[in-house]
Amino acid sequence: MMQNRPAIVAVGRTKFGEHYGKEPEKLIEEAWLAASMECNIERKDLEACYMSDCFLPITNKLGLQEGFLSELTELHVPMEGTRSFSAALSAACHAIQAGVYNTVLVGGLEKMSDRWDKIRDDLMLLDDPWSYFAGGTPESNHELMLRAYIKKHGLTGKDQEQLEVALAQVAVKNHANGAKNKYAQFQRKITIDQVLSARKAARKPLGLYDFAPISDGATALILTSETVAKQMTDRPVFVLSIGAATDYLNYPAREDLTHFVAAELAVKQACQTAKLSVADLQLVQVNDQSTAMEMISLEDLGYAKAGSAWRSLYESNQTGQLSYEFNGKPVHVNTNGGLKADGNPLGATGGAQFFELYRQLRGEAGERQITTPEGLRHAATLEFEGFGTKAYMTILGEKTQ
Amino acid sequence: MTSEPIERRVSYLGDRLRACRCQCCGKEYFEVRDYCSNCGRKSYNKLDNIDLFYDKGTLELCTYINEPTNKFTKLSSYIYGIVSFHDGKIRVPARLTDQLIADNKTIDLSSLEGREVTPRFRRRHSVGKGDIVPTISLAFTLADEYYPHQEYKISQPKKDYDLPGIVGYGMYSSRFRIKEEGIERAVPFFDEDSVTAAVEAGKLALIHSSLDSALIGKIYAGSESNPYAVKPIAAKVAQVLKLGKEDGDIQAVDAVDTEFACKAASSMFKDACALVSYPKSNIDYAMVIGADNSQAAPRGWPGGELDAFVGYGGAAFIFGKKDVIAEVEAWYSCTSDTPDFWRRDGEPYPMHGGRFTGDPAYHKHVRNAASKLMEQCNLKASDLNYFVPHQPNPSFPVRIAKELGFKEEQFMPAIQMTKFGNTYSGASLVGLAAILDIAKPDDRILVTSYGSGAGSDSYLLRTTSQLLDKRNRQKINVKFLAENPFAEFIDYTTYRRLKSGM
Repeated sequence: MMQNRPAIVAVGRTKFGEHYGKEPEKLIEEAWLAASMECNIERKDLEACYMSDCFLPITNKLGLQEGFLSELTELHVPMEGTRSFSAALSAACHAIQAGVYNTVLVGGLEKMSDRWDKIRDDLMLLDDPWSYFAGGTPESNHELMLRAYIKKHGLTGKDQEQLEVALAQVAVKNHANGAKNKYAQFQRKITIDQVLSARKAARKPLGLYDFAPISDGATALILTSETVAKQMTDRPVFVLSIGAATDYLNYPAREDLTHFVAAELAVKQACQTAKLSVADLQLVQVNDQSTAMEMISLEDLGYAKAGSAWRSLYESNQTGQLSYEFNGKPVHVNTNGGLKADGNPLGATGGAQFFELYRQLRGEAGERQITTPEGLRHAATLEFEGFGTKAYMTILGEKTQ
Repeated sequence: MTSEPIERRVSYLGDRLRACRCQCCGKEYFEVRDYCSNCGRKSYNKLDNIDLFYDKGTLELCTYINEPTNKFTKLSSYIYGIVSFHDGKIRVPARLTDQLIADNKTIDLSSLEGREVTPRFRRRHSVGKGDIVPTISLAFTLADEYYPHQEYKISQPKKDYDLPGIVGYGMYSSRFRIKEEGIERAVPFFDEDSVTAAVEAGKLALIHSSLDSALIGKIYAGSESNPYAVKPIAAKVAQVLKLGKEDGDIQAVDAVDTEFACKAASSMFKDACALVSYPKSNIDYAMVIGADNSQAAPRGWPGGELDAFVGYGGAAFIFGKKDVIAEVEAWYSCTSDTPDFWRRDGEPYPMHGGRFTGDPAYHKHVRNAASKLMEQCNLKASDLNYFVPHQPNPSFPVRIAKELGFKEEQFMPAIQMTKFGNTYSGASLVGLAAILDIAKPDDRILVTSYGSGAGSDSYLLRTTSQLLDKRNRQKINVKFLAENPFAEFIDYTTYRRLKSGM
């Protein structure tokens, strides 16, 4: 359990999608203002800022992002940059736990549509350069992982068909959730047939509807020490633990091609620190860069044994529920629409996951609000940098003893 | 993979597939590293480099790419996946090359997974016109199709010969062909050019000779379609094939490009022979490569007449004085300033002198060089077993061979331009390779090349008994490539598209 527990007291975000005319600075401004208004703090209350963006310097030619954040906020406090929101939150938590700061801003930002023409090249070059130079695309590693999964677990005939449908259902479920999220990039439902026919048209294992889009957007949250949090809100959401791990950049060179070692390690560490088991978590936001990644992440989280998650997914969906069922318990996954429907502006993506958990844990998720038999007390995010090169699991919830 | 600027400075890092193996535990890694993750610090500097360039792999997993990244859009679509070596100990990302995938074709990934593949040497991806052309060997082809895997077994040369001669050779041409009016011509795939053909031909020559590449002291690369105005093909060949002793990342070899239209390579045979014979040269073997992605303007453009004859490919010959398969007994060369064919710097396509390319150019010089050499050696056409003329089109070589008194059986086996097109600097070399594929020991061969601008080189060769000993080492010979059932025939539009490259 984290000592001197950091707490989230406010969240803010922009809509995800294409913000054609907006500068990246405007997006982070919008997110930060929303969060600051929610908890009614002034910028002078901030002692430090942590901000994530995956590749603004490369894609948007904006370097030293801390500098423009300083101009924006007219703040001269310490500011640090990371690549993912979870990494920013992790650094912020460490500072608060160490007693260095009491109130900090954590923000995330990406403006990918600015360089629509070269964004997939940038993504792949940064994610896995050898694969990029061999001709790989941002999508191909996902498809190869799915092929590896199918082969390793010997899925043929009806099993393979059901797996394919189960993955289509992942996209359908995420779009159904996105339809209830006013910030989501895609707020419309799709059908299994649409997913399947897009794959067929592309002649590939995964198609257009299996992948998260390219997005612009920003997210922010205010993180405080436990003492400050209690002065600001009667329902702070505590960061109970963060687990993190790293893996090879080059996907083909990894030991096991059918899952993410980094995710597995991060999950183990996060659960140990929080003294919780995955069975205690009925709500998770996973990094569904693709439908296959959502399925494999659920195995890495430990909800299902390797090679079996597809069956639970397939069967859960037969009930018409938006939640999955693992070991007799409902598990709600990507209630905001996930990366698929909510959008995936890399540096801001994790912030949207925390935004959702904060709303859900406080019972403020409106139409998307989930309920669990024992009451929703904990929830988690699993966020990646790259194709599982870095993994962060963060458990949020009410203070436990 | 290292940083982009370093990649640009040492553009050969991805050229020759490399891996390493821990001396302590045997674990293998893609790319070279300094210590093993199992053994830690005690394994520092105890990792052996392993070379996958002549190895074969297995396509473990694959998918289809129909929307490549910007650098690969010229390929439209391709199969991409993961290739493993040594029973899965090493895995690398891999693009299957040499595949044109029709829009209506069903793609069955599982039928490709598990197949053996051979690493090939290709252009890595598209770049701007002024940029370095990056190359890579993470491009593979199916080993049970056009280009089978061949082992490179090194053996020590044994027998000394009095005269220098050919000790090994290899011919390379592409899988794609266009067939028009009875002539088949080779067309490079998008990622092929004269550099990749030169490397492939050199690789096959090394395999055939079974010579340690470190023993080669000089490499001459003749071409008129080098993608660069300044930057030698020979340097790329030397680095990728590790010619000469390796000294860190420098090869102890002399490398030079030569240019004289279609005789750029044949002209160097005598230089290679002289070099390996000169006692103070310290060079026992020299390699000569002639390779071209023969250029021609599209039909209807000025110079577009050539478009009916141009091909793609080349051949490499290794010269030395040990284990010789064909001794070079004599030569004769001639030159005159005859502008029958030229390409100005910066122009993409050559121009030619129309009907004047025949009598006052090709025939005059070939006739002169061939007859002068026969005269010099006191030989009649009937004393020779084979005649290999330069072959820019199907009619010129036949006319000159007949005029010189040769019979069809003496020269027709050498006429390969009807199978691969005119491979420019490679044309007479490919013809010679075809003859060496079928000749018997003690056969006498007359080769006469022609280069526009203009000149001819004639060589008199006599085969040895070792010709037969080495023959079975080379499965990929001229006939194998010409009659390959996996060669794919394409239409004119596709041909021009492929010819334009990445």
